[in-house]
Formats: sequence, C-alpha cells, structure tokens
Amino acid sequence: MDAKQKIQALNKKAEAVEALTKGEDQAVKALLESGTELQMPVGCTTIFDTGWETNPRATHPVGNCQASVRDFMGCAGDCWWPAQTPDGLTNNPDYHQVCSNMARDWRTIKYD
Amino acid sequence: MVHEWADHQVFNLDDGAILYDVDLASLFRIDASIQAVLQRWSCQPRVDLNEVAPPDRAVLEDLRDLRLLVPAGSAKVWPPLRCDPTEIPLSTMVLEVAQDCNLRCTYCYAAGGAYGGPARLLDVETARRAARYLVEKSGDNQALTLVLFGGEPLLNMPAVKAAVEEAEEKAAALGKKLLVSLTTNGTLLDAEILGFLRQHRVVVSVSLDGPAELHDANRPDAAGRGSYSRILARLGGLLENSNAAVAARVTLTPAQWSRCEEVFDHLIGLGFHEVGIAPASPISKNLLPDIQQEQVLLESLASMARRFSRLAKEGRILPFSNLVELLSRLHMGQTKAIACGAGYGYLAVDAGGEFYPCHRLAGEKGFAVGTLATGVDADRVRSSLAQLTTGKDKMCQSCWARSLCAGGCHYENHLRENTLGIPPGSSCDFIRRWLQIGIELYAELRHAGADGLLAKLEKRNTC
Repeated sequence: MDAKQKIQALNKKAEAVEALTKGEDQAVKALLESGTELQMPVGCTTIFDTGWETNPRATHPVGNCQASVRDFMGCAGDCWWPAQTPDGLTNNPDYHQVCSNMARDWRTIKYD
Repeated sequence: MVHEWADHQVFNLDDGAILYDVDLASLFRIDASIQAVLQRWSCQPRVDLNEVAPPDRAVLEDLRDLRLLVPAGSAKVWPPLRCDPTEIPLSTMVLEVAQDCNLRCTYCYAAGGAYGGPARLLDVETARRAARYLVEKSGDNQALTLVLFGGEPLLNMPAVKAAVEEAEEKAAALGKKLLVSLTTNGTLLDAEILGFLRQHRVVVSVSLDGPAELHDANRPDAAGRGSYSRILARLGGLLENSNAAVAARVTLTPAQWSRCEEVFDHLIGLGFHEVGIAPASPISKNLLPDIQQEQVLLESLASMARRFSRLAKEGRILPFSNLVELLSRLHMGQTKAIACGAGYGYLAVDAGGEFYPCHRLAGEKGFAVGTLATGVDADRVRSSLAQLTTGKDKMCQSCWARSLCAGGCHYENHLRENTLGIPPGSSCDFIRRWLQIGIELYAELRHAGADGLLAKLEKRNTC
C-alpha cells in the first residue's frame, strides 16, 4: 500500500495542503516545452547564464543548466571558468570567437 | 536536501494517531506504520532525505509534501507577523445600552451591570452616534455586527431602537449587511419588544443557567428573589415567534460544572435552538477553579463530545455551541495570530460613549481606547493590547495550541494575573485539554464519514 493512503487529510486545511502539492506538479509540467523529445523545462535568461536555462541539445550532460554544461566542458579542456559566463546561446552567439580561452582572453569580453 | 520538522503534535488513537500541524492547523489521520516512522525520525532535529533508506524515505517524502517536513531553516516562527490594529476597520461594535441591571447575578463581572461605576443608561443621541461610528469606520467590511449589551439592554429600549434603526439605515445606504444581536436576561421581554426584535431580525441570546434551583441560585434579582419563573413566563413568545435561532447562554460556577449535561438537556427541553456554556470568570478567588474542578468540567465536555458523536451518526448536530464553534474552526483549519478581535475591528462602547477593546474590559479605565467624541486613539489601542499580552508570545512559542488559542481571553488573563495575582499560563493546560477533546471528536466524525454534517459547519463558519 502506498504510504499516502495511510495518511488521510482530515480537515479543509489538510486538503488544501495536499492540493498545493498537486498544484506544484502541474506548475512544473506547465514549464515543459511540449512536443520536444527531451521534455526540457523552459525558462528565461538574461545576458548571463544564471543556471536556470538548460542545455536543450541531446548532448551530454543532457538537461543540465548551461552553467553546469560550461563547467563540465571547461573542466574537461583548458578553459575552466568558475563564474558566470556570457550566454552564448541567444544573446552573445559570437562569444567563443571573442574569447576562445577564458583564462587568457577574459579581458576582451566587452558585453554590456 | 536537508529538512527540519514543522512543529506538530500527535494525538494517539487505538489504531494510529491524529497528526496536527501546529502553525497550519492541518489535521491528518495516520496509521500505525506511519506513526512508527514518525516516531523514529521526529526526534532528529534535521533529516537528510537522501540518506534515509527506502521504506522510511517514501513516508518522509509524503510528510514533506504535506509540509510537515520543511527545508531546513524555513520552519515558521512564533509570533507570526501581525497587522497594526489601526489598519483594521471596524466590523463589530458592542454597545452597552444599559449599564444597569434588574438582576444581581452572583458571578457578574460587570458588578450588577454598572461595570464598577454608577448605574446609567445610554442616551438616544449617543446610541445613534455610536451606530453611525460603526458604519463610518467599517472601511471595506461588507458585513457588520452590532451587539446590544448591558447590564440588561432591555432596560433601555429607546436606545436599542435608536441604535438599530440608525445602523440599519446607514449600513443600507452603503450596501452593507448588518447583523444585530442582543443578549438579555429575558425578564423584560414583552409583546412590543418581541415585535421589534422580530421585525429587525435580531439574534437573541438569553442568559439562563438551567433548572430553577440552579438558575435562581446564580441569578437572583436585587431583592434576592430568583428570576427563573419570570423568564419562563416570557420565553414562549420569543422561542415561538423568532425568525432567528435563539441561544441560551449559560454561566456556571466551578461547583456547578458537574451539571453541564443536565443544564444542556433542560434548556433544549425548553425549546432553545442552541445552548452554550461558559465557566464563570474568576472575578474573585472563590470563583477560581481548582484542578479537580477543571477535571470535572473537562469530563462533562468530553461526555458532551461523545453525545455529539452519537447524534452525528444519525446525521444530526448536537446544538451545543461550545463544540459546534470549535469543530467549525477545526474543520476549516483556521488559525489565529491574535487571541480575539479586541482592538482589531472589535470595539465596545460604554453607556457614556467611552471606547474599550472589548465589552468585558468596559469600565477598566486603564484599558480605555478613546471616546465617541475623539474617536479611537491608536496609541491607546496599542498600549492596551500590549499590557494585556506582554510575555504571552514567549509562552505560546512552545505550545502546540498556539494557533488555535493565541494567548486566550484578554479579560480572563487580566483577572487571573492582575486581579488575583496568579502567574501567567494558569489556564493553558485546561485550554489545551479542551482543544484536544475537539480535535479527537473532529477526527472521529471525519473517520465515520460525517462529511455532510461537517459541511454544515463549514457553512456556519463562512457566513
């Protein structure tokens, strides 16, 4: 028997708390891009990756936030950068040309 | 993620337990297996769900979903945020239309109705002015309540009529609903008064303490004669012709607490629609109960709860106000950040037009909060409430009943602490045990499938 069935909400407040949990599931679903194979949560981003925007490509690490993607890739190569980097997906697509090696070229970043 | 326990209380049953979230007032019934998991883990100040083995983990995750386990550092703290009383518009005014009474009840906190001063009646113009004040200061409140109180309010029908008519007119002009209620000793009811009460749909409560000998011992007139037979002779007209439920309001002294059920049955037998029983306020040491007397009252109330449960199986509500009120609050899961409305939308106006946070504090000059002439004095409201509640938050912090009680009746606390010199908290244990009776009854009703009956309580609470 599922544990939940062994916990019975008695009063209206308990039912409201239960409903709140169900509501949370729906809120996350609402953020899923429909029709995509990966069912990625979509969010918003500003100039810099905040860790919220996710890797939409079927490349590893699948579904991680972009900051994590960058760290992961960066750690594997020679360009690890332990801070926010400009968002190269939408706002600054030429970031890699301007700054191909973060440790060396970071002074060249002139984004607003 | 690391979680901590939301403050909760477990009430054991034969086959499981009731789980109560102290700050949300949510009630769950859990079986023995869940209770065992709870016992294993609730002694841990912090729980890292990732480190809990599967069978227990699933249960703890469910409890997390139900907000009984919350992210570490996010558990609610007492006291909760509170509004400034001056930001709350008026919703209820208690008007002391007569600070005089034709009875001399033994337990009267208003000293024969006069509240410690000379006997006096509210004049008609002040009554109208007070009624206007209620409506004018009601802000966005759409439902207002005017309570006609005393002493004995029927000693001053001109002021009763003036206040009701003025409040009705002014409320109607703003499209607001007005409920008028009146508490009387019933000795002065006559056909004309009954006609007025009926015409204005006044909700009437009659103070009556039960069978003749008990009532007469408590409620003699100024000459020492009992009042029971006089009231009974006038009661028929009220009960038969009223277009609103008529409640009997009973006050019993500690020595009489074993007779609750008998009193209830007697008054329902007389035709009252509802009966509420209040312990007499300890205006003097001889009305202060000892532990045995409190135990007797709790047993009487528990017995009433069993009767409530039996009758609920037939789909009927036992019209015992104390339980009906408590059950309806538990049903909704209502919580309180403050003990009552005194100073927060609730205002008492005495026969001289002076303001007090509540009717029971009327005449206690140290708690006066303004006058009809000058309006509510915000600083006085704050200082009066501060005087009445200082130190309570700290005590409530460790109490599971805090969001149901929030410190208890200001006046009862004032009597016990300031008049009788008893340390704060002397009624807490009684209050907790009474609330537990209500919680256990509620769980039993819900478990027995009395949902239709509980929905009626919901209606009562929201109207």
